[in-house]
Amino acid sequence: MNMPETAPGKLAKAAAAAPQVKLSALNGIKRPVKIKPDEIQLLANYIYGIAGIHIEASKAYLIETRLGRMLEAENCSTYSEFYQKARADGTKTIEKKIIDAITTNETLFFRDANPFELLKHKILPEVIDKHASKSIATPIRIWSAACSTGQEIYSIAIVLKELLGNAKLNVKLTGTDLSDAAIRAASYGSYNKFEIERGLPKDRLQRYFTTDGANWKIKDDIRAMAMFRKLNLMHPFTAMGKFDIIFCRNVAIYFKLEDRKKLFNKIADVLEPDGYLIIGSTESLTGVCPRFVPKRHLKSIFYQLR
Amino acid sequence: MQSLKILIVDDDPVTRSLLSKRLIKADYEVEAAENGIEAVRMIATKYYDVVLTDLMMPGGVDGIGVLESAKENNFKTEVVLITAHGSIDNAIVAMKKGAVDYLQKPINFDELFLRLEKIQNLKHLVKNANDLREAMDVTEQTSSETIQTLEMTVADLENQLAQMKSILAQQDLTADMRIQMALNS
Repeated sequence: MNMPETAPGKLAKAAAAAPQVKLSALNGIKRPVKIKPDEIQLLANYIYGIAGIHIEASKAYLIETRLGRMLEAENCSTYSEFYQKARADGTKTIEKKIIDAITTNETLFFRDANPFELLKHKILPEVIDKHASKSIATPIRIWSAACSTGQEIYSIAIVLKELLGNAKLNVKLTGTDLSDAAIRAASYGSYNKFEIERGLPKDRLQRYFTTDGANWKIKDDIRAMAMFRKLNLMHPFTAMGKFDIIFCRNVAIYFKLEDRKKLFNKIADVLEPDGYLIIGSTESLTGVCPRFVPKRHLKSIFYQLR
Repeated sequence: MQSLKILIVDDDPVTRSLLSKRLIKADYEVEAAENGIEAVRMIATKYYDVVLTDLMMPGGVDGIGVLESAKENNFKTEVVLITAHGSIDNAIVAMKKGAVDYLQKPINFDELFLRLEKIQNLKHLVKNANDLREAMDVTEQTSSETIQTLEMTVADLENQLAQMKSILAQQDLTADMRIQMALNS
């Protein structure tokens, strides 16, 4: 006669039939992996090698907060293991994801209004005049180095549009960034409510963006003014040609002094003789690049070649 | 932080009354609209933190219409849709248009309160982030003024020093003359 199965019996049967589950998943709360002192140096060196970003030992928490989730996703139990896996990955997929995660994508539309006023009232008029007086028409080239997700480039484009109205102007905007994800996002040009909340008054929002589901997407005529590509500022970039205006804001702050010097020297090499360089409002080129001389206008500082 | 301002939109008077009473009892600020058209009118004149709207309503403006109007007026307004059992597809369309959540009828009030708490928490977080950003802006502004002044001063001093150096290096002048010129520059 068949006895009815007891509850414990049923459970035991089910447990035996269940696939092996990771113990960590049964624990409920996962504890984030802590980085060990020797691992800090290992990863800091690796990050410096791929991105030029300088992370001091005191900033080790940055590695944990930025890369912690990747560790879990890659099923690594230590940062050493994670490092080995990244190095061994020939497709560089993990490396790209690390770059996306470690780079600070803090950016706003019209971040610190002053440079855009400078652009509108002084720099652009001067550049436009200069190009108009040339016998051979060449495009005005503007570069946003470390453009992140595109807000800076589109802010420049909007200033241009507002200055020119419907007048046709031969302008080429170039945005570059180290992070593939940032370039993709910049190229797509769609922003959520938090991203457009600051820096864009309602009239500008409505004039230059269309709704895209719950997001706002930059309009085609503005988008068409810019092109985006990936670039590591630690690598040579003379192939980019020369620019009339260069924005390089709040990226050099992540580099060591010697790398900053190299960077701004390279920038000096790709700036037109009478070109303009704009850096972050709290940055300084004193002791960094003597090839540039600072000039003050309105509430901003810009640099030109000596 | 202040309590959420909620607009209830439902053509059924019983639902309106029930929701209003429960939400007021939970210390929320509540107003109600009978249909989509009235809701759109109210949204145009006043800001609401949350719009709790029925999806299907007669009269030309349905829940999606209310959602669109709310988002246009102020993207900070969160819209929660109340859907009948079986119209999940419509609810998902609405989510894609920016609705933050949907609830199925009959409304489970525990769930409603939980969702509203989540919205309130989110708003707190956003406010914190904004406050931090504002503080950062102020710091950045002040620092940048100082740094810019220093930058110009240093450049100026470097110029002066360079000038002095070249004057003092002029071998064809006597030491006294050189010192005199350097001091005058």
